[in-house]
Amino acid sequence: MIRFENVGLRYGLGQEVLRDVSFHLLPGSFHFLTGSSGAGKTSLLKMLFLSLKPSRGLSYMFGKNVTRSTPEQRAELRRRIGIVFQDFRLLDHMTTWENVALPLRVHGKRQSEYAEDVTELLKWVGLGERMHSYPPVLSGGEKQRAAIARAVIGKPELLLADEPTGNVDPQMGRRLLRLFIELNRLGTSVIIATHDYQLMTQFAAPRLMLEHGKLTIQG
Amino acid sequence: MNNQALDRRLPAIMQPEPPKRRFSPGKAPIVPPGSVTGRSLVLVIAIMGFLACLTAGAVYMINQSAADWLRDVSSEITVQVKPEGDQDEVEKRSQEIVKFLTGQIGVSNVTLLSLDESAELVEPWLGQVSAVKELPLPRLIAVRIDRDNAPDLPTLKAALTSKFPLATLDDHRGWQQQIRRVTGSLALGGIAVIVLMAAATIAIIVSAARSAIASNREIVEVLNFVGAEEKFIARQFELHFLMLGIRAGIVGAVAAAIVFLSLPVVSEFLSGAATNADIRRLVGTGRLDMLGYASLLIVVVAIAMICLLTSRFGVRRILNAQNQ
Repeated sequence: MIRFENVGLRYGLGQEVLRDVSFHLLPGSFHFLTGSSGAGKTSLLKMLFLSLKPSRGLSYMFGKNVTRSTPEQRAELRRRIGIVFQDFRLLDHMTTWENVALPLRVHGKRQSEYAEDVTELLKWVGLGERMHSYPPVLSGGEKQRAAIARAVIGKPELLLADEPTGNVDPQMGRRLLRLFIELNRLGTSVIIATHDYQLMTQFAAPRLMLEHGKLTIQG
Repeated sequence: MNNQALDRRLPAIMQPEPPKRRFSPGKAPIVPPGSVTGRSLVLVIAIMGFLACLTAGAVYMINQSAADWLRDVSSEITVQVKPEGDQDEVEKRSQEIVKFLTGQIGVSNVTLLSLDESAELVEPWLGQVSAVKELPLPRLIAVRIDRDNAPDLPTLKAALTSKFPLATLDDHRGWQQQIRRVTGSLALGGIAVIVLMAAATIAIIVSAARSAIASNREIVEVLNFVGAEEKFIARQFELHFLMLGIRAGIVGAVAAAIVFLSLPVVSEFLSGAATNADIRRLVGTGRLDMLGYASLLIVVVAIAMICLLTSRFGVRRILNAQNQ
């Protein structure tokens, strides 16, 4: 599903923030991505999300070489990926419901096809009472859950989450982890970037460890 | 894993066959209209539309008047009789020519202008003096021709001058050419003005599209992240620009229509009947007919299309540059 071969990444003329990163993730796998701050987790996630191109090396997503992909090809691949940002990236002029429904709307589905699914998912993540609220009035945890709901609503083949439980209480953190696990059981590959060791102990999954731009796989 | 947290049923999207149910909450525009087309932009495009409509209407009006003039001029020819000899001789000769012309095929009416009428024609140059009648003015014969059965003018001219050497026939061809040249130049000038306005509108829309993308950068990023293609993102912007074009075009066209409707009234009110008559001489009735108003509608459609297509290509070009 994802294969990186000797991938390096540098911003401008600076030092490489990722060096010789090589790994192969199979479909339906579940991984935690961890490492100290500044180790390159977000940069790696951005490359996995086709937001950054490697400075060197080869990267394959869903069996396609994306090193030289066109914007149309990237858009097509992104439809198969769900992402949860650390800063949520919710659109302030849309209600929580509309934010969560956005990927389906972009994919050209009719509202009648997805309306109930969106509502049910929002209720499940504890935002049933807040679905018609706008993001500026949501708490950090609520925004986090709305962002996760938006990432999973399209049943992506790959889910990337950057600190998805950073703003929620432990109980909600466990529920969200269960959501990721269930998605994974249905065939979605999941990569969760986190500092939360407690979260990592709740589910036995291999860890991609990043230290000083170098990647090692544990477990 | 805490089992207490697992006691809730999984959402439908986790199930292999999500159930179909109905629920229809609101659907906000993905890009808020206010962030793309502000009031000042609407005003600028409306002014462009107004000026383009005024130009189109004026060109149409002048062309219509010119067509009327040409119709009038081409349905009449003039015969001049040189005033050689005394007045009785000239009068007799003129009557003979009238008789000759009346019998020609394609001539529907022949009128010999009296000396007073001829004097009136030179009055704007010589003034109202009784001595005008004493001047050796040529006698004029107005010949109205049947447009459905027009005579062969060169043959008629040859027959007339061979029989009456002191008579000359003027078919106003030179005058017609001049009218055509002037109205053609005015129409070209009008088209050039409209083209310049279209170019200015395109430049404004390109600049507005650039700033709309900049001010909605976060939305564009999110749309990219959820897999939207460039054409989908561009459509979110171009719909707002299309509405802008339609709204501004209608405002401009209505304002121009009001100007055209009130033009005769205002000119008469400000300067009296003389000015109104001058305007009528220049631009006919000074009013647009139904086709004239239809030309304003064409301008509205053109403005809407300019806004739509310019924003489409402009936004896609900007997005493409960002995505490379």
